[in-house]
Amino acid sequence: MRDCLYDEQIDKYPVAMAYVPWQRFDKMYDDLEKAYQDGTVFPELNKPFTGRRCV
Amino acid sequence: MGNQEQMLHDIGVVDFVLVDLMLYLDTHPYDCKAMEYFNHYSRIKNQMSREFSQKYYPLTKDMAESNKEWRWGMAPLPWEGGCR
Repeated sequence: MRDCLYDEQIDKYPVAMAYVPWQRFDKMYDDLEKAYQDGTVFPELNKPFTGRRCV
Repeated sequence: MGNQEQMLHDIGVVDFVLVDLMLYLDTHPYDCKAMEYFNHYSRIKNQMSREFSQKYYPLTKDMAESNKEWRWGMAPLPWEGGCR
């Protein structure tokens, strides 16, 4: 699986294609109760929907 | 919340953490740091389940070792309020 997280030549990619950067895991929440309430142990995936856009 | 309920809740929280880590590891099978976290919490969950099983009743059949009475069968059933 080619690792293409941050690619400078993003403009060389074909248009109309979806690109999902690869998740880089570093730390997880220590407070498991908070992780449980937020629905994820990964801070980078903690994106509560605010009715307009993700935070 | 009674101690039994609190322990049951805590086991559920740790199990959630394991599921989330498993989902990550499924796509990152060589991430040693994530595996360390998984091993750590997996040991914790096993310990908590063993403790709960000795104190109250077995949650899974591999914890159902019994001698005087068949503890698995004696456990409250989920639909009879066994796990709120």
